[in-house]
Amino acid sequence: MLAISRNQKLLQLDEENQVLELLIHRDGDFQELMKLALNQGKVHHEMQALEKEVEKRDSDIQQLQKQLKEAEQILATAVYQAKEKLKSIEKARKGAISSEEIIKYAHRISASNAVCAPLTWVPGDPRRPYPTDLEMRSGLLGQMNNPSTSGVNGHLPGDALAAGRLPDVLAPQYPWQSNDMSVNMLPPNHSSDFLLEPPGHNKENEDDVEVMSTDSSSSSSDSD
Amino acid sequence: MAAAVAMETDDAGNRLRFQLELEFVQCLANPNYLNFLAQRGYFKDKAFVNYLKYLLYWKEPEYAKYLKYPQCLHMLELLQYEHFRKELVNAQCAKFIDEQQILHWQHYSRKRMRLQQALAEQQQQNNTTGK
Repeated sequence: MLAISRNQKLLQLDEENQVLELLIHRDGDFQELMKLALNQGKVHHEMQALEKEVEKRDSDIQQLQKQLKEAEQILATAVYQAKEKLKSIEKARKGAISSEEIIKYAHRISASNAVCAPLTWVPGDPRRPYPTDLEMRSGLLGQMNNPSTSGVNGHLPGDALAAGRLPDVLAPQYPWQSNDMSVNMLPPNHSSDFLLEPPGHNKENEDDVEVMSTDSSSSSSDSD
Repeated sequence: MAAAVAMETDDAGNRLRFQLELEFVQCLANPNYLNFLAQRGYFKDKAFVNYLKYLLYWKEPEYAKYLKYPQCLHMLELLQYEHFRKELVNAQCAKFIDEQQILHWQHYSRKRMRLQQALAEQQQQNNTTGK
């Protein structure tokens, strides 16, 4: 009996030792885990701090982006307006005419009552702001169509032409007889472009200079 | 035909052509003439329409300075539009344009008369208050 109880006691001691050792082992494990958890907590804190930093930098970048966008827009409008300004400067420079020439031209068109009515004008006065019947037929265009001249004056209801004298109303003031007009002044020569076949320029002129109705009141009522 | 060819190459011929085109383009300032052309169907001719487009060179300053009636340029511009050419067949259209042209023509003389009237009235007032 004593031997069995001694063995039992030994066994119990062994078990107790084992359990104690296990306990100590476990405790050691727990200590390690605690340290680990502490470290992880620290790391987590650091991560949070870094994330905050990252957020701050992100918002900074977005702010910068907005400002850059605004700046780009302002610069784009400024550049566009500058370009428009340059275009208008170029246009003005192209159309620059000496003031003397403009004044001369103004004198010329005002002197003949072409753009401003004569001060004594009343309804019934045959003068007009455009070349009248009479003037048109007395001009070069009218003379070309009918080489014969008759002595009829005044407004013409029929086919007869005005007197052969050439009033200076339409012809330019520049002397045509002189030879110092440069060839550059001549009109661009596109005579072959009007029709598909090139019959020459004069055809249009000849067709146009026909007898006209003198006044709108006496025009025949044929409408196309 | 031969005469036309000779004209294009000859300097005197070119001068003649210049003068003819100058006269013709200024005739376009006359609304009655435009009505005449429209009624005779000239505006329906493609070649004539091309000629009108060609005449636009008179807008350049070195050519425009020869024009005595600069209103013809405005009429030339309007004539480039087919709608305008079609409208010109009506006599009322031409009459309307004619009236407006004459009224505009009188614009400056009327303005001057108004100024003179205003000045005369002012002088009268001065005289009456002076006395």
